[in-house]
Amino acid sequence: MKKLLLATAAAAMLALIVPHGAKAQSAVTGGKAVDMVLLPKFLGILPFDQAHQGAEEAAKELANSKKLQYLGPTPENSVAGQIEIVTNAATQGVGAIMISNNSGDQIVPSAKAAKAKGIKVVTWDSPIPSAEGEDVFVAQVDFSETGKIMADMALSILGKDGGKFAILSASPDAANQNAWIDAMKNALKDPKYSKLELQGIVYGNDQSETSYNQALAMVDKFPGMKLIMAPTSVGIVSAAKAMQDEKLCDKIKISGLGVPSEMLAYTKNGCAPQFALWSFVDLGYLSYYTAYALATGAIKAEAGASFKAGRMGNYAITKDPTRKAGLRILMGPFSLYDINNVEAAAK
Amino acid sequence: MKWLQRHIRPEQVRELSLLLLIVAAVLIFGSMIDGYYTSRTFNRITSSVAIITVVAVGQTLVVLTRNIDLAVGSIVGCTAYFTGAQLAAHHGMPPVVAVLIAMALGCVMGAINGALVAYGRVPSIIVTLGSLAIFRGILIDYSGARTVTTDSLPKWLLELPRLNFVTIGDLDIRAMFALAVGIVLLFQIGTSFLNVARQFYAMGSNPDAAELIGMPARRIVFSAFVLSGTLSGLAGFMFLARFGSITVEAARGMELQVVAAVVVGGVNIFGGSGTVFGAMLGAIMIGTLEQSLFRLQISEFWRDAILGLLILLAVASDAVILNRLRAIWARTDLKLVARDSASPAEAKR
Repeated sequence: MKKLLLATAAAAMLALIVPHGAKAQSAVTGGKAVDMVLLPKFLGILPFDQAHQGAEEAAKELANSKKLQYLGPTPENSVAGQIEIVTNAATQGVGAIMISNNSGDQIVPSAKAAKAKGIKVVTWDSPIPSAEGEDVFVAQVDFSETGKIMADMALSILGKDGGKFAILSASPDAANQNAWIDAMKNALKDPKYSKLELQGIVYGNDQSETSYNQALAMVDKFPGMKLIMAPTSVGIVSAAKAMQDEKLCDKIKISGLGVPSEMLAYTKNGCAPQFALWSFVDLGYLSYYTAYALATGAIKAEAGASFKAGRMGNYAITKDPTRKAGLRILMGPFSLYDINNVEAAAK
Repeated sequence: MKWLQRHIRPEQVRELSLLLLIVAAVLIFGSMIDGYYTSRTFNRITSSVAIITVVAVGQTLVVLTRNIDLAVGSIVGCTAYFTGAQLAAHHGMPPVVAVLIAMALGCVMGAINGALVAYGRVPSIIVTLGSLAIFRGILIDYSGARTVTTDSLPKWLLELPRLNFVTIGDLDIRAMFALAVGIVLLFQIGTSFLNVARQFYAMGSNPDAAELIGMPARRIVFSAFVLSGTLSGLAGFMFLARFGSITVEAARGMELQVVAAVVVGGVNIFGGSGTVFGAMLGAIMIGTLEQSLFRLQISEFWRDAILGLLILLAVASDAVILNRLRAIWARTDLKLVARDSASPAEAKR
């Protein structure tokens, strides 16, 4: 089996693809000139690069004559940098901004200001928690699903008897990280996972050196820890390398969300037997289509609006069940990677 | 006491007290952290100290000449990334060539700084503050915001951090730490006994006098920066081996740790005094603090604040304590000289 699709996620997606009620599919017509900004959490890591690739692919398909601006802050300046870029984009008066939000609700004032100027604000990867200032969130997967997936992976790696584990996250401000960790805590209440014990959460700020050192510190900080769950592509690789360097892979396994090509070696040598991810290329592609459709007036940001996103097919906007307010488009599904399929996915 | 004063210089008193401080720090952390005295703790501290030490040796040479090199973090980051990218593209590249590439790139970057400071007569703090940003900017542009990933690197490189030089009991002395100690020894001996290297001290003690007696002032400063760059390049290679995945952020802020190591290690920020060995002690002190604070899960903000506090304490103690010590030494020296000249026979005895 090349990819283990999760039945639940797939079913949820199917439900969305079916057009809602009497509303017709809106056609997204290409060829219009829209200034668009793609804003990752920060520059310099692979997943955001892949999202950029996907967005460029969509831009080409839609024959947008305005070049896509891929702007991002540096990791240590992520929060302030994101706010600055959104503010600048609003001043320039672009057509749409696509944000992977790393600033929690601190980004709200600048996002609101942009929206007030008629700029479409689409979030992807990581939403604005309060949804203020945001038109719609393109969700890679259902966030409560992420919690279950992480709990499932922990159980399948540790076996029926379970054990102690800890989480290595990115930054304390990352909305998606926090939502996933909360979802996992929720999932753990299920008696099925009663043998799993969460010992604590540590932040590596998505920097290789910090994550590496934090992973080593976790070994001593949490006695009896058998697994590090890192829902971040930087954290998971750094943690795997740290365990490998200290020859601890027999005792402590790594899992979480990672990029197959980066994880290949660690899955093969048993340090990271199983991990998950979705396609960031697709996420960038879908985000671009969504933002373009909104900016050209093909669809409105309201529940029930649906459109055809090129090669990926039909999508609809719904209320976001994982936040109090806010709209979302659900992409999905998750892909689980292990020794059987990681090599094929890494190519 | 007089025997002590004759055979130990004030600077060595300072190094000895730093050694005692390190022991004290280890004892304190040992009582606070369960399972602190393990070979793992030792490994962790020595592995992180190794990289800082190599950079600190170069920084010592620069500081000795009354200059400072703030670009070292960017040089380490650039060489780590560039060497990583080259190794990823050419897997068959022999290890020696990879090390040479890293050192050559560092050397060129150091030479740019050195030329501007020595021949352009621009203050080093301005030059290197500028090149810190410029080198990082070049790296961001060159990398196209991509990461050097562990999977793209050859196997020998990834296994390097685990390579043991020698095992004593439970303690593994890793090859990278052994390399760092080797470099310290080399430069310690060099700066103690080689005429050429003593010129670094002369330049820092009194630049005008050094020039007046015909020392090639510009060339000395220039070569200090070139050496600092080259050693940072070597450290960049070690950084690549240790962390594997290199982003454009690699080694950002390392200059703070390195300057702290040098200053805490007793190298006078106004030049002219201090040793490479002291800088290594400073690096060990800082490495011990850093890794131990990690264990206590103290936030990064506080770790940086503690580093800053250490720098301030070190410089302040230099100004107050060391100057007093020197005054005491000078007074006794005068007395000794006076007595020696009064009765040469006694002095011989």
